[in-house]
Amino acid sequence: MKFLPFIFKHLKRNWIRTGSTVLAMSLCIFLFCTLQTVLHEINGLLEGTSANRLITRHGVSLVFNLPLSYAGRIASVPGVKGVATTAWFGGSLPAEKEGAAEKDTKADEGAEATTDWSKFIPSMAVDSEKFFPLYPEYQINPEEFRQYMSDLQGAMIGRKLADKYKWKIGDRFFLESFIPPYRKSSGPFEFIVRGIIDTDPVKHPKTDTNLMYFHYKYLYEGTGQRIGAGTYTIGIDDPEQAGTISKAVDALFENSDAQTHTETEQAFAAGFISMAGNLALLLNTIGLAVSFTILLVTANTMSMAVRERRTEIAVLKTLGFGSAQVMGLIVAEALLLGALGGALGILGSRGLILFLTKAPVIKDVLAGMGLSSLALPPPVAAMGFAVALLLGLAAGFVPAYNAYRSKITDMLRTV
Amino acid sequence: MSAQLHPVARTADALVDVRNVVKTYKRDTQELTVLNGISLQVPEGEFVALMGPSGSGKTTLLNLVAGIDRPTSGQVIVAGTDVAKLSESELARWRSRSVGFIFQFYNLIPVLSAVENVELPLLLTSLGKRERRDRALTALKVVGLADRSSHYPRQLSGGQEQRVAIARAIVADPKVLVADEPTGDLDSRSAEEILALMETLNREFKKTIVMVTHDPRAADRAHTQHHLEKGVLAG
Ligand SMILES: Nc1ncnc2c1ncn2[C@@H]1O[C@H](COP(=O)(O)OP(=O)(O)OP(=O)(O)O)[C@@H](O)[C@H]1O
Ligand SMILES: [Mg+2]
Repeated sequence: MKFLPFIFKHLKRNWIRTGSTVLAMSLCIFLFCTLQTVLHEINGLLEGTSANRLITRHGVSLVFNLPLSYAGRIASVPGVKGVATTAWFGGSLPAEKEGAAEKDTKADEGAEATTDWSKFIPSMAVDSEKFFPLYPEYQINPEEFRQYMSDLQGAMIGRKLADKYKWKIGDRFFLESFIPPYRKSSGPFEFIVRGIIDTDPVKHPKTDTNLMYFHYKYLYEGTGQRIGAGTYTIGIDDPEQAGTISKAVDALFENSDAQTHTETEQAFAAGFISMAGNLALLLNTIGLAVSFTILLVTANTMSMAVRERRTEIAVLKTLGFGSAQVMGLIVAEALLLGALGGALGILGSRGLILFLTKAPVIKDVLAGMGLSSLALPPPVAAMGFAVALLLGLAAGFVPAYNAYRSKITDMLRTV
Repeated sequence: MSAQLHPVARTADALVDVRNVVKTYKRDTQELTVLNGISLQVPEGEFVALMGPSGSGKTTLLNLVAGIDRPTSGQVIVAGTDVAKLSESELARWRSRSVGFIFQFYNLIPVLSAVENVELPLLLTSLGKRERRDRALTALKVVGLADRSSHYPRQLSGGQEQRVAIARAIVADPKVLVADEPTGDLDSRSAEEILALMETLNREFKKTIVMVTHDPRAADRAHTQHHLEKGVLAG
C-alpha cells in the first residue's frame, strides 16, 4: 500500500501516455460491455421460449402465408397437442391516435399515412381459442379472458406494453400494420383492451410482455378473407420429440405448393433475430480485434515505461528492493491502467445503454426487438472489469518479468 | 601478485574483507577475466580510494563489495557476512541495511521529490509513515539540503542531486558507503563540496567509505589509495 503513491506518480508523470492508454482500454471495455449486454438480452429472449412449442412457417420465407387448411392436417400428426393459426401484425399506432375514430370518412388517407416507428407495437393475430392454452406462462384473469373471447375487437395486452401506454381495460386504440396485405382500405383496425397478460417474474423472468394479441378472425374478416396463416404455433407433449414431429409436419406438405418449415420456438426466435445475431458476431469479432490491439497498445506502453526506467529499476534493486517487489510494482502499474480503463469503459457503456433506452425513437425500435429492458447486467460489468485487469496483467507481465530477471550490473552498464 | 599470497593475515579488524576474488565475464565463447585474484581489506572507519585506468575493473570490484554482484571465486565478507553465501532475496535485504551506494550520475528517481527519494530505502523497513519522513528529513539536513526537500531532481543542480543521493545512501544508517566516481560528473566546486561531505560522513558519522575515482585530488581526500591495473591491485 505504501508503494501506491509511487505507482501513481509514474502514471501521472507521463499522463498523456497514461491517458491515451486508459482511453484505449476503456474503449475496448466499453465495446465489450455494450455488446455483451445486447447478447445477454438476446439470449434472454431465447430463454423465454418454450421447448414445448414448434413454429411452422412457409418453406421459402416467413413473408409468404400458408393455407389455412394446414391447421387441421398438422393437428393430426401424432404428438401434436394443439395448433394455433397466427399472423405477425407488427402494428403501429397511427400518427394521430386521438380523433381517429371521428375521421372514419377520411380513413383512406389514414391508411396511407407513413408508419410512425416510434409508436411501433409488437402485435400478433392469433386463433385465441387454440393459442392461449399453448402459453401456460401467461397469467390471465379468467373473467377478462371471457370478455376478450366474446369481443372480436378485443385485445390482450402484455403488462409492459399496457404500462407503457397506460392502457386500462376498456381503452380503445387504433393499429395499422406495416405489412401491406394486413392493411384494410377502410382505415386502421380498432381495438379494445379486454385483458392484461402478466407473467410470474420468478418462474418466467425472461417472458416478454411488451406485446399484444388479438383475434385472427378480426384480421381475417377485416382484410376481406384473403389472407392465410403467417405461422402455425404447435404445442407438443414431449420436447424430446420436437425433431421427429417437425419432420412429420413438414413431410405432410412436401408435395404441395406451399411447403413448410417447422422448428422449435427457440430456433425460430433465433432465426427471427439472426440478423441481430450475425451483427453481434460481427461486432464481437471487431471487439476481439480491438481488444487485441489494445493489448498491444498497453503492452507497448508498459514496455516503453519499463525500458525508460531501466536505471531506476536497477537503483531500486541496489537499494534493496527484491526482484519480486520490483516486478510487483510494474504489474501493479499495469493493473492500475487496466482498472482505470475498465472502470471508465463500464461507466461509458452504462451511460450509452441508459441513453439508448431513454432516447426517443431508438428506445421504441429496441422495444420492438423485445429489448425494452436493456440494462448493463452486473455480471457483464464484472466481466468487463476482469477483462480490463487481464489485459493490463497480460500487457505488464513481460516487461515486469524482464525487470524481475534483469541483473543490476547489466542494467547500470547500458546507460 | 604478492597481495593474494597472504590474504588472511590482516583480516581481524577489517570491515570489508575481499579474499582472493576472481571475476570473469562470459562474452559469447570468450571468457574475460576482469578481476584476477584480488585481496583487499578495509578496516572499519577507513576512507579508501580505488584508482586505475578505465576498464581495469574498479566498478566490478565495487559492485562485489556492495553486494550487487557475486564473485566467480573467492570471498567477499562485509561486516562479517559472506556476501556470496546469501540468496538473491537475502542479499537484497542485506544491501538495504548494510551498504549505501552512491552513483556517478546520482540516479535519483525523477518522479519523486528529494525527500521521497531519500525515503525510498525506508519503505523496505517496518517504520511508520511519520518516522520515515522524519528520518529522511534528518538525512537531508545532514547533507545540507533541508530547504530543498520538496524539490524534484530536475529542479536541482548536479551537486545538489548528488547530495540528495548521498542522503539516500545514509538514511538507513549502513556501516559501509560505496561510491563509484561520485564527482565524475560535477564541476570542481561541486566536487569539492561532495568530497567535503564524504569526509564529514567518514569522520563524524564513522562511515567506512570505498570510493572509486579518476580524480587524484579526490583520491587525496582518502586515507588510503589502491591502484587497480588489469584486474590486480598494484600497491
Ligand atoms: N556485465 C559485464 N559483462 C561483460 N563484461 C563486463 C561486464 N561488466 C564489466 N565488464 C568488463 O569488465 C572490464 C572492467 O569493467 P569495469 O566497469 O569494472 O571497469 P572500470 O575500471 O570501472 O572502468 P571505468 O573507469 O571506465 O569505469 C571492462 O572491460 C568491461 O568491459
Ligand atoms: Mg567504472
